[in-house]
Amino acid sequence: MKVVIIGASFAGIAAALEVRKKHPQATIILLEKQTTLGYIPNGLHLYWDNKIKDLNEARFVTTAQLDNEQIHYHLGVTVKKLNTKQKLVHYQAAENEDIMSYDKLIIAAGSRQLSEKITGSHHESVLKYKRYHEAQAALEKVADSQHITIIGGGQVGIEAADLLRRQEKQVTLIESMDYVLFKYLDQELILPLEEAMLKAGVTLKLRQTVSSIETESEQSVTVHLGNESVITDAVILGVNVRPHLTFLDEQIKLHMDQTIKVDQYLRTSAEDVFAVGDCIQLMFEPGEEREYVPLINNAVRTGIVAAANLLKPSIAFKGSLRTIGTHVFGHYIASTGMTEAESLFTNRAVKTVLQKIKVNSLPNAETVTIKWVYEAESKLLLGAQMISKANILEKINTLALAIQTKQTLEELKQKDYFFQPAYSQMLSTTNPVSWMGERVEEDEN
Amino acid sequence: MKTEHFLEKNEIREVTIFKQLVLNDGTLTYGEMLDYLNVSKASLENDLDSITSRLPIFEGQIRLDYDGQQISLYMSDRVSLQQIYRLYLSQSVKIDIINFLFKHQEFSIVQLTQELAISDSSLFRKIKELNTYLKEFNIKIRNGQLHGEELQIRYFYFQFYYYIEDNLTLIRQRSDKQITQAVQSVENFLQVKIAPENRTRLNIWLLISKSRIANKDKKYKQLREQMAPYLKDPLYHKIQVMVLRYFSRYSVEVDEEEAMLHFAFLLAFPILTENDFHEYTLIRDRHAPIASLDTYIVETIIIHYKFRKLPYMLERELYYHLTHIHTRLYFFQGDIEIYEYEEMLAKEKQVIGKNVVSFAHVLLKTSSDKFMRANIEGNSLLKMELLKYISLLAIISFEMTTEIRIGIDLKMDDLYKQTLSQLLILKMRPINGIQVERFKPNKVYDLVLTNEKPKEHTTYKEARVYILSEILSSFDMRNIQAIIQELST
Repeated sequence: MKVVIIGASFAGIAAALEVRKKHPQATIILLEKQTTLGYIPNGLHLYWDNKIKDLNEARFVTTAQLDNEQIHYHLGVTVKKLNTKQKLVHYQAAENEDIMSYDKLIIAAGSRQLSEKITGSHHESVLKYKRYHEAQAALEKVADSQHITIIGGGQVGIEAADLLRRQEKQVTLIESMDYVLFKYLDQELILPLEEAMLKAGVTLKLRQTVSSIETESEQSVTVHLGNESVITDAVILGVNVRPHLTFLDEQIKLHMDQTIKVDQYLRTSAEDVFAVGDCIQLMFEPGEEREYVPLINNAVRTGIVAAANLLKPSIAFKGSLRTIGTHVFGHYIASTGMTEAESLFTNRAVKTVLQKIKVNSLPNAETVTIKWVYEAESKLLLGAQMISKANILEKINTLALAIQTKQTLEELKQKDYFFQPAYSQMLSTTNPVSWMGERVEEDEN
Repeated sequence: MKTEHFLEKNEIREVTIFKQLVLNDGTLTYGEMLDYLNVSKASLENDLDSITSRLPIFEGQIRLDYDGQQISLYMSDRVSLQQIYRLYLSQSVKIDIINFLFKHQEFSIVQLTQELAISDSSLFRKIKELNTYLKEFNIKIRNGQLHGEELQIRYFYFQFYYYIEDNLTLIRQRSDKQITQAVQSVENFLQVKIAPENRTRLNIWLLISKSRIANKDKKYKQLREQMAPYLKDPLYHKIQVMVLRYFSRYSVEVDEEEAMLHFAFLLAFPILTENDFHEYTLIRDRHAPIASLDTYIVETIIIHYKFRKLPYMLERELYYHLTHIHTRLYFFQGDIEIYEYEEMLAKEKQVIGKNVVSFAHVLLKTSSDKFMRANIEGNSLLKMELLKYISLLAIISFEMTTEIRIGIDLKMDDLYKQTLSQLLILKMRPINGIQVERFKPNKVYDLVLTNEKPKEHTTYKEARVYILSEILSSFDMRNIQAIIQELST
């Protein structure tokens, strides 16, 4: 069996490794557009954070690992066209065009950070650094710039703002919604972060949409938003990523948002063709409406599931809770599952509880603000958000599992945990007992 | 634009034949029909034959008999003229073109000639004709695409699917869980309740929006200018939050203007309930163009009718409808005339009087001047908005007229007295705002009609008295009407 995988980022690599494990005899070929392998998207943030000494250290897989698993890879290869009836991939490597046949095809072509709406955003002075070569260029440009404007208040934008402020750069951040990180957190949880950002000297421009970017010279860029404009040295584009799939044939059906339609086994509408990672929509849980959730966690998990279903449909994808965790402006922030604001898109009646809890039993313990979102009637946990100055990130994984395994708040109160006064209170943070800590407010809607 | 613009000339004639028959009790002579259609007898015969060939689909429920002298229509109780229109529209090539355009956003001539099984030249001709009608919407079909401002394109599709094309089919074919959920989300985010009849409208609008979203080059130049006074509007803000959040869940880079499109739509059509709309009027900027025109028009109406004040609920209702009218005038161009304008106008004049119609003209002139809408001959939008003003004024006059009690007290032989009183009552019944009966001595009347001068001053108490010169004469009737008008203002 010849398995061709388009794209060697997280989804493609995970799929390749899983195919190898399941099918020791299979020929596995990865086709990757980039000329280097396994760069961690936004690895530049690790470098700015002094976590790595060289951008090149931001790798999640090495060529040696792939060689070891006898996974073939072609770098610098652009797929031009698919013919899913004849099972052929047309591609270009260097100057040559060539054709490769397959028995099974996995599309893991990823996504890019581009804007089609903001005119001028294609210019090279507008930095995107998801990829290695982009990161190299961005690194130099940022080093030469004093004032940097970030478009988009998502995870990438906020992390970049924090790291750049720490380098004493002047930072302006523009977000079209009323508050940053709106996909992951409800507004009341974000207040301490926004305060910290303002205190750190970030200029926040909320509810403003960038219409165009004009590059006047090497050092001066004008960002136009509504009736005003910002003159800046460099711009970082932190908008939502989207897939860029120009090579598909008509057999492969798409959603309205141009992502590939797949079933729960990640099969596309073309036979023996699978799609994973940032190319597809995922559901919150089986049966729910699908959404686009381009996170690495989803890329890896869909890669594994597709690999398991190559010969026959056997494992259904369990769904995505859009779990995230990060550390920005001195705050650890984590979220999983549904936010209260997002629940308005569903028919579920939800209730929420906001708690402020000490993270351990020591006199000067930090607190964590935690918001529970649950189904009103059944008390089924649907989502949780946390913000704290203490590192509570790993706790979100516990809650993600609780949602995936359909735990109610009542059941979670009885969750087993360790007690160690330096690390926990009477109860663990993730045991939602109401007399623990201060209940900030309860929403009875 | 009119519904019949989607039909060919001979089809329009055929539909007209049906309509004339319905208006004339089902039977007309050839001579009368020829006069009306202004065609030759041979051509009328052709039309009648063509109609007959179409009728089998109704399985005997509609029958047309003609013998060279007379034409008669038979329709069973279960069919209406509406279904006949629908039959003709369902076979219209122009409608097929619009449907194809909506479904595929783009077409090549080859694709479309094959799909519709017509020649290049006839396709070009039909597109050309369509474009003359689309002109008032300021949009046109060019290079296989619909070009123009995005708001105008969606507005046209909305009018088309709501009034012309069978919208139930559209909803059945294209509405899915996503759209149902989106309607629900609108309710949740805007904290409103959408009534079932309004839900259909919203459903169609969202379907249209969904199909347009992936379109690459949308134009919003006009819309941006029109929205300038509304960027801080509280309803717009809610819509903006909803739209941004909604699309953040898909791999779609949504235009800032997407929320503006929905804002215009939500205010121009009855989507919100009167109650939810009222909540909005309490927080909207009263100086913004639409709200300030609403107020101006309400005041004009109050002054015109010399009302001291309108009842609270009536005023609320008035604002509700006026905002729809004014939002349309503010944002949109063109309309589809779903009612035969001239006929409606004639009917309205009959029922509610000339004065109301001419006052509605004044209101329309005021508002179109304010929004600098040129009153080009045949502007369907202005025509339709005029009808709405008229209806609104009618509502007010119905609500505000105090009923005038009239007693008829004829002095003559009992037999005559009974018949003539009854005839007089019948004759007066069509007059609005009156309650007329035979005089009863213990009741209070505003006006008493009699044929003899009352013997005593107090016979009719406070009532005004009119002495008939000649019972049932038009002279008396005119005088009586004048008195009624006087009494009711």
